[in-house]
Amino acid sequence: MTDRSADILPADQSIGKVAEQLAGIPLHFPARRRWLAAMIFACALLLLLVISTAALFTRGVGIWGINIPVNWAFAIHNYVWWLGIGHAGTLISAFLLLTGSEWRNSLNRFAETMTLFAVICAGIYPVLHLGRPWYLYWMFPYPATMGVWPQFRSPLEWDIWAVLTYLTVSLAFWYTGLIPDLAVARDRAKSRGWQIFFGITALGWRGSAAHWSRWSQAYRLTAGLAVPLVVSVHSEVSLLFAAGQIPGWHSTIFPPYFVLGAAFSGFAVVAIIAIALRSWFGLENLVTDEHLDLLGKVLLATGLMTAYGYVAEVFDALYSGGAHEMQTLLDRIGGAYAWTYWGAIVFNFIPLQALWWRRVRRSGWALFLISVSVAFGMWLERYMILVTSLYRDFLVSSWDGFTPTFWDWSTYFGTIGLFLVPFLIAIRVIPMISIFDTEELLHEEQEEKHGA
Amino acid sequence: MMRRFSSHPSASGTGPRGPRLWSGIAELSGDRAFKAWIEAEYPAAAEFTPTARREFLKLMGASFALAGLTGCEKSTFVTALPYVDQPQDVAVGVPKYYATAVTLEGFAQPVIATTFSGRPTKLDGNPDHPVTQGRSDVFMQAAVLGLYDPDRAQGPTRRGEPVSWNDVADHIGVLRDEWARDQGQGLRLLIGSTTSPTLFRQIDALLKQFPKARVHMHEPVGNGWRRGLTAAAYGQPLDCHYQLENCAVVVSFDDDLLGPGPDQVRRARGWSSARRRDANTPGIQMYMAESIPSITGAMAGVRLVADASRMPSLAQAFASKVGVPVVALPDLTSAEGEWVDRAVADCRDAHGRALVTANGFGSAATAGWVAQSNDALGAGALQRFTSPMQTIASAGTLADLAVDMIAGQVETLVVVDANPAYSAPGSLEFADALQKVRSSLHLGLHRDETGELCEWQLPLTHALESWSDGRTFDGMATIIQPAIRPFYDVRTMHQVVAMLSGQIDAAAEAIVRETWQTKLPGDFEAAWRQSLHDGFVRDTAAKAVEVRSSTTEIVQPFADDGLDIVFRPDPTIWDGQFANVGWLQELPKPLTTLTWGNVVAIGPALAKRINVANGDHVKVTIRERSLVGPAWIMPGQAANTVALYLGYGRKRAGRVGDEIGYDAYAVRPADQPWQTKGTLHKVGTAEVLAVTQLHHRMEGFDFVREVSAEQPTLPPAQPQPSLYPAKPPSKTAWGMVIDLDSCIGCNACVVACTAENNVPVVGKDQVKIGREMHWLRIARYYAGEVEAPRSFFQPVPCMHCEDAPCEMGCPVHATTHSPEGVNQMVYNRCIGTRTCSSYCPYKVRRFNFYDYRNPAESPEQAAHNPDVTVRSRGVMEKCTYCTQRIEAAHVAADKDNRPLRDGDVVTACQSACPTMAITFGNINDPNSEVSRLRRDGRHYALLEEQGTRPRTTYLARWNDGPKDHQG
Repeated sequence: MTDRSADILPADQSIGKVAEQLAGIPLHFPARRRWLAAMIFACALLLLLVISTAALFTRGVGIWGINIPVNWAFAIHNYVWWLGIGHAGTLISAFLLLTGSEWRNSLNRFAETMTLFAVICAGIYPVLHLGRPWYLYWMFPYPATMGVWPQFRSPLEWDIWAVLTYLTVSLAFWYTGLIPDLAVARDRAKSRGWQIFFGITALGWRGSAAHWSRWSQAYRLTAGLAVPLVVSVHSEVSLLFAAGQIPGWHSTIFPPYFVLGAAFSGFAVVAIIAIALRSWFGLENLVTDEHLDLLGKVLLATGLMTAYGYVAEVFDALYSGGAHEMQTLLDRIGGAYAWTYWGAIVFNFIPLQALWWRRVRRSGWALFLISVSVAFGMWLERYMILVTSLYRDFLVSSWDGFTPTFWDWSTYFGTIGLFLVPFLIAIRVIPMISIFDTEELLHEEQEEKHGA
Repeated sequence: MMRRFSSHPSASGTGPRGPRLWSGIAELSGDRAFKAWIEAEYPAAAEFTPTARREFLKLMGASFALAGLTGCEKSTFVTALPYVDQPQDVAVGVPKYYATAVTLEGFAQPVIATTFSGRPTKLDGNPDHPVTQGRSDVFMQAAVLGLYDPDRAQGPTRRGEPVSWNDVADHIGVLRDEWARDQGQGLRLLIGSTTSPTLFRQIDALLKQFPKARVHMHEPVGNGWRRGLTAAAYGQPLDCHYQLENCAVVVSFDDDLLGPGPDQVRRARGWSSARRRDANTPGIQMYMAESIPSITGAMAGVRLVADASRMPSLAQAFASKVGVPVVALPDLTSAEGEWVDRAVADCRDAHGRALVTANGFGSAATAGWVAQSNDALGAGALQRFTSPMQTIASAGTLADLAVDMIAGQVETLVVVDANPAYSAPGSLEFADALQKVRSSLHLGLHRDETGELCEWQLPLTHALESWSDGRTFDGMATIIQPAIRPFYDVRTMHQVVAMLSGQIDAAAEAIVRETWQTKLPGDFEAAWRQSLHDGFVRDTAAKAVEVRSSTTEIVQPFADDGLDIVFRPDPTIWDGQFANVGWLQELPKPLTTLTWGNVVAIGPALAKRINVANGDHVKVTIRERSLVGPAWIMPGQAANTVALYLGYGRKRAGRVGDEIGYDAYAVRPADQPWQTKGTLHKVGTAEVLAVTQLHHRMEGFDFVREVSAEQPTLPPAQPQPSLYPAKPPSKTAWGMVIDLDSCIGCNACVVACTAENNVPVVGKDQVKIGREMHWLRIARYYAGEVEAPRSFFQPVPCMHCEDAPCEMGCPVHATTHSPEGVNQMVYNRCIGTRTCSSYCPYKVRRFNFYDYRNPAESPEQAAHNPDVTVRSRGVMEKCTYCTQRIEAAHVAADKDNRPLRDGDVVTACQSACPTMAITFGNINDPNSEVSRLRRDGRHYALLEEQGTRPRTTYLARWNDGPKDHQG
């Protein structure tokens, strides 16, 4: 990686220019009309979420298509999907920071931002999902007068803690990373409002050596916390399923399978956003083809690991010889929801194979389309894991089906609005590519060039 | 009600008479004031889809009606006041029990009514009564909801306008003067099925006053046809009582012995005691030849699929083989021949303990052969005959009446507790004929199709509000005493009939007392009190009649081409009288698991031939009349037989029962009411049926296990390892064992559970998407060929697992384990994550996806069991082993300072079961019945390999079929 970083950014650009370019995006927003159009679209989706949630809270979860036996569907399914997407941000930022992979520097800021908002989208689902959401606080160990505590054996209880911890650490990590850039933006801000805004958010950063050293320690420490959290959170999410005895869920492969799947879908969404932002703001000089190449490789690698999960799952069912496991396997590949299984396989793994070719990896559009395919494929996978296991579990007499209703869809599309609105605001007000990281990387590259 | 209505100014603009009385929700929902009120009170209703909105109006309508709609008054059901001085014999929260009866087909179903603060909430079979012995059926269990039906007629009306009973009395006075002039020449009474001695006495008295008046009887289902068959077979009309408890072999020709009907409880009880006669073999062997799969066929060891029109030939072949002289033998297929041979061989081996039966709907030939076969087999002791109880000697038929009405010979028609405008065969055109009657009075619980057409609608009391009497199927009389005072402006049937004979204000009790004054032996008051207390009048069972089958030559019916169309009463709605009872509408029908509708049942071969799938509309044409209904492919139904179910397609049943399904009465021929010929075509449209079980094959799993003579025990259960520590030992550990060899899938347990545990009715649309709320489902499985499958029933309540996956999943401790091993559900702690249900391997948990509760002012609130929480939206619920009964038993035992005894706790399902298939008790007590059954060789746990250690377990079913069917 290190030798590659030598030429990941074109070295013939001035550091000051780069800072100007990046800090200038929020200050002198270049694509106002496109941003406005996107914002209106995102707000419409968010409005849909508000309406759906209002309908949900007034009438009950009956507005969704869930029933007995499929009493978990879109809410849990999209929760897992969003949370999975969120993981890539942390992985890219923290994991690659710790391993010293400097190429992350062009991607980490918006990947972290994406994480934050994806986790928020995921986080509202467990609330919406409740039959009586107004009693959500019973999941927390508050000193109740009745002396009742949460039930700590429940994966849902672990889930609450896992997700909240993850959200907190992600927020801390994102913000820590942002501080030096907020200071740059403060220094370049011309209007009084922006000066105050960035002045406060930069926490008095002056860029002294002591600052840098403390900051570096803090940043790396948080990164060190965040990486195991990615693994623990999604492992835990997978236990939501694996802890039950339902065939198709009750398997030890689930934690790694879910973590890798999460990373896979997350990297796909990072690629989507990277390519979109790069073309939107003309950042080809900073998010280079080299970055896309690397993203493509990571995507291919995590994709293949996820594919291994599929194989292992089938092997598991066959090896166990359990009649119910076999039944669920057959239902997945040939039952009423076989389209979700085959859809997941096709969208996840078939276009992915094009990434073996360097030219495809370096082509923005190709990578973009493949990533969209993966994001969709992973959505189908979550649907498949939930519905195909529940709709036909043990007793034949309880078999039924699941058909999403309008409200299922509207809530899901609504969360896309919930993701996009703050994300669009974020790219409007904060530097979307880490200025100091990029400067540092550029500086190092130039140093090396001079030295050579 | 009347006073309240008239005290309010009109809001719907019908003039100074007071607010318009509604007669149906369709009328109401057209009312602008009503709409505005709905929108204000229930804003959510405005955004429903049209169907959902209609459903909402239907189901929720109760409250609106009772609240006076445009008025501001509260219903009588919520304005209960606390006692200032508590009456001595009433303790709030402590139930009182009354022995009384409800009726089905006019037969009394003796019940014990549980009442809380004067409100009946639960009916159970009278344990002292020799017929029910505490057992019940679906109709008995659901009758209590009929009491609180918000669509009951609440006061007398004339042409839809409310009148007072004084107006009624005045009018009857005028009519009586007319009748007196010509001795009642133009007076006709039309009576539904009844066995009431008081009604018979009153009619006799009325006919004495007006000798030229005539009585007609209308039994849309009833025993009328069967009486005709016995008249042909034995020379006189008879009621027939099988003594199944004494039988070793039963051969049935299309006779659903164990199926729903007024004698189901006694027969099922008899059959199950015979079935359990021996410990190591099934004690009764059943041979069933049937066209339409029935629960009897499902329990029969050897079942033959044969068209309805084949029965005479089969019966003839059987008769000839058992020694009845037969002139010409019919041609049988090899399967038919084999079945007859097997049946005959077994009957011979049974040495006089073999009984042959035929249904009450078939041909005289079948009945004749069966009667002669029974005599040849010496089955005399296995059936008793009694004189018919439901008949009035001089009564005419409905067809006679229709002819007379059209001829203009009927001046006054009094319809007593019947609904001929709906249930008369279509060809009689009864509704049109009714227009020609000058003065018509309808006495009934509802302003139904007939009440709507009649000039006067006189509302009657429900059986639970009535003084009346009736006889059970064996003739034993029961005095029906009220368990609650009427809460509407209604009179008993006897009071209104007394009006016809000139007694204007007869007291309800006095009329019934008068009947029994001469009949009770000894001191009348003492005997009367004793009879009321017992729930039956001693020594009144009908005397058996000694008969021999008539030897007149039996004419085999002419074999006709075309499909056999058979009519059957609906297993839950019956003849349509229960259409407005939500519990019965939502009850999955045995074998099909269909709710909220009826189907045209066809065999798989026919379905293949005309290429229809379940739910495809088909048109059935009988003579010049036709109907369109959804097809249902019934595994094991004969290829050439089509079944139509009566009871649906009602127009004025009420909000619950209107406009569901097709009306089979419309195509029913008056001369062939049960079996006829017709054609069937595919229409091209389809509908989604509300069935609760979509998949019927067992898919190779061993949910229902079987034992056979070769292998009478199951392999012993393997101990399942567990990581969890063992539960601390407890004195009591509740467990339930369900004997699959006795369960006939009759559903009595399901309705009993619904009634006991306040299980909500969710409506057709919710059932369609899989949200029915029954805590106990009867799983139904098929094995083998679709043309002739074997059928299995398996009641699945909560398993109360010792290592329950659900308990592990709940994040808030809402489902926990009691020290006595019951898997508890804490409703008010539940936040609705539904994890418990996702993890439940048995999927027995039910979730309140919406607020399924009745509106606060609905009269159905009064039907709730006050000992059981009514669950709100977003809460999980499930079988609790009737925890309220367990706690009550603990309290009772503690009061007496004694330990709990076996049998102290009886769950609702257990007490309802007519075959005693359900046993409940303490599994830590080695001497309890449930422990004994758990040691039985047939004992097994469902999904044992999951290691959940269920407390609800099963006894395997005996496979007593032919050897080549086993395995």
